[in-house]
Amino acid sequence: MSTSSRETSGQHFEDAELLRPVLQPGSGFRVVTTLLIMVILGAWVIFSRQILYGLGVTGLNQPVVWGFYIVNFVFFIGISHAGTLISAILRLSNAEWRRPITRMAEVITVVVLAIGGFHPVLDLGRPERALNIFTAGRLQSPLLWDVSAITAYFMASTVYLYIPMIPDIALLRDRGAKPRWLYTFMAWGWQGTPRQRKVLDRAVSIMMILVIPVAVSVHTVISYIFAMTLQPGWHSTIFGPYFVVGAIFSGIAALMMVMITLRRIFHLERYLKQIHFDHLSKLLLISSLLWFYFTFSEYLTAFFGNEPSEMRVFYYKFTGPYAPFFWGMVACNFLIPVVILSFRRTRTIPGIFIASLAVVIGMWLERLNIVVPSLANPRLPYPAGFYIPSLVEWAMFGAGIASLMLGFTLFSRFFPLISIWEIQEGREESIPHTIERLEHYLPDPAPAPRSEAAEGA
Amino acid sequence: MSKEPELAWVSVLQLLSVVWMWVFVLGISGWIIHLIRLSIRLNDMPTASVGISIVAIPVFLIGAGVLTYVYVGLQRGRRDDVDAESSS
Repeated sequence: MSTSSRETSGQHFEDAELLRPVLQPGSGFRVVTTLLIMVILGAWVIFSRQILYGLGVTGLNQPVVWGFYIVNFVFFIGISHAGTLISAILRLSNAEWRRPITRMAEVITVVVLAIGGFHPVLDLGRPERALNIFTAGRLQSPLLWDVSAITAYFMASTVYLYIPMIPDIALLRDRGAKPRWLYTFMAWGWQGTPRQRKVLDRAVSIMMILVIPVAVSVHTVISYIFAMTLQPGWHSTIFGPYFVVGAIFSGIAALMMVMITLRRIFHLERYLKQIHFDHLSKLLLISSLLWFYFTFSEYLTAFFGNEPSEMRVFYYKFTGPYAPFFWGMVACNFLIPVVILSFRRTRTIPGIFIASLAVVIGMWLERLNIVVPSLANPRLPYPAGFYIPSLVEWAMFGAGIASLMLGFTLFSRFFPLISIWEIQEGREESIPHTIERLEHYLPDPAPAPRSEAAEGA
Repeated sequence: MSKEPELAWVSVLQLLSVVWMWVFVLGISGWIIHLIRLSIRLNDMPTASVGISIVAIPVFLIGAGVLTYVYVGLQRGRRDDVDAESSS
């Protein structure tokens, strides 16, 4: 880790454009922030009907007792995998191309986890009763495993976002960014001394190892709220890995959408290059194939078993009322990304954006296809139900997306979206390190032929 | 990097943030332990509760521990820098 002399010398600072949104915020920031806050406040005004009249104002009914709120909960938590998990894996594997990506990925995790984690509270007819988990929670319930796992992941992700930000916060402090007290407070006395660098390196290493199993466990545990029941379409042993793969898949797509959007807004073309999108789009392509494999296995097993209650859910999705959503999901998650990302000619930045958008929509449809059809066709002999979300649910969905955008807007106003010290470290140290590493990978020199060795002796 | 003295109240705020982190982590750990006691009292699958807590509590403790390590390390590292300057 290095803090280059270029930072303080007062001479030309090579990464000045990364600090520009913080040091010279444009008027666009205020406009966008105001608009987003208005959208969020508007949604809460609409939601107040639910506070007054209860869940009757939503489309939830018997037997479909979970709808948009839980769909969005699983969807947002899935997207949160983009960040910390991808960032930790890339750091751990010493992938040098990670440097301009990790910060954005980590921000997605923290912002989206906060949004997603709040959704189950919206799903309560009496939201204040969420507080009952403090006194009368049942820890053997998978719902409470979610609470513990998401809180742990949120804490680990926040620490993992904050620690590598310290040198950049100190840089902003030294460059007079305002409010000064905030940067002084958050920099924790960073001066870039060798001892401080060592401490920070060690802390980042511990957190990146800790965060990977925590991230995997979070989405596994979320799958358990479905898989631990005996509902048709949910009771599956592969739901844990299926959810983890889906989460990574949607996470990479969301990350690329964010990267492409911010690259355009803040003119980050010099940092976020085609090569970064190429690597990430290959990961997205592999995830798409893996997702298809899991989906195929899941539905083939159900079809082959031919159990009546399972088949009701199966046909509800394949040919019934949810067929447009199911086949839309297959098109968005498999056909569109595979066709676009397999060919170099279409793997352009606009092409990647379209593929990523398709995946994000497709993964949302997947969550919808998991949650609603199983509840609409219960194992018990009740008539099939139907679910149409109400304005309140759509409004809160809009508020969730607006909150994500607001989170990014506020972050970009106060902190660099790309890790400056990591970029500088890359410039100064990564080329010799990479050469050294490559030399280690190559076979050792062949031993000298025996005759030469004998002559030498 | 700047060598300007920091505001005293900011240093206090920094220390408080670490203390707050520990209050949060110990609060969550206490809550989980309370739920285990509840499950034992109600004979409501206490083994599952213990299993979950064995995974959850260490994650919180490690997170808070790492943050404290960084805070202490950065303060000591800064002092080293000041000591080196004053001796030279």
